[in-house]
Amino acid sequence: MTTPDTTEIEAREKAEVLTEDTRPGLVFKPDVDILEHPDAYVILADLPGANEESVDIHLEKGVLTLDAQVSETTRAERPRYAEYREGGYHREFRISEDIDAAGVSASMRDGVLELRLPKSAESRPRRIEVAAA
Amino acid sequence: MSTFQRHATRRPWPFPSLAREFQREMNHALRGGEPAYHGPRGVYPPVNLHERDDGYVLTAEVPGVRPEDIDVSIEGATVTLSGQRKVEYAAGDGVSVHRRERQSGTFRRAFELPAEIDLDRARATHKNGVLTLALPKSEAVQPRQIEVETR
Repeated sequence: MTTPDTTEIEAREKAEVLTEDTRPGLVFKPDVDILEHPDAYVILADLPGANEESVDIHLEKGVLTLDAQVSETTRAERPRYAEYREGGYHREFRISEDIDAAGVSASMRDGVLELRLPKSAESRPRRIEVAAA
Repeated sequence: MSTFQRHATRRPWPFPSLAREFQREMNHALRGGEPAYHGPRGVYPPVNLHERDDGYVLTAEVPGVRPEDIDVSIEGATVTLSGQRKVEYAAGDGVSVHRRERQSGTFRRAFELPAEIDLDRARATHKNGVLTLALPKSEAVQPRQIEVETR
């Protein structure tokens, strides 16, 4: 399926995640697409500034947690004008029981995370490593 | 490295009022006003601007936009970003979309910087969904140190 892409994109503000957090810095809720294939669910998340090392994905008790730390770019230059803010990302997804936790895979390309959640009957806590695309 | 096009000839381009607004904001900042977070201006992609003594650094968040789908052109003090953000899903039967928040489409945005850019030394890089333009000011507008002669 190819989506039509002749429309002009509208810039939107990154939604800030307001949580009780002792860590400094801003956290944003990334835009995502969630697709269902016959054999797997696919989650695509926009994480500009994040790379495969800074992303952390955790699946436990049917909740998939996506975290990404983006260290603020330290610049010698003087900031003059800002339309976006830098910060980390956080979002949780309630995952149905039929996911094969052992088969979950993740990759990143151009600041977009692609998570593939194969369907199965298993449901156990697991940490998933992110591979470079 | 992103594609970098140079336009030697002048092309008419209807600037959105945004360009003027951008410049007004920036001129305010350049006169010593506090740089502030303004939020996106509706036009994609959102950008941040930093200044150094010898030039500017313009960054834009463009996750999912392929480097080959971004066109950067510079003419005098005007920088134009244009391109396409493709959101393509694997073709196949039985694929259903449960949620769709990521936007696709085309974009085009022009900025007028307060100083002319040195085309030969301008660089564009694309990493982790962030486009970074290093835009040195042209020699003619750069501050120059003048030796004081003693007599």
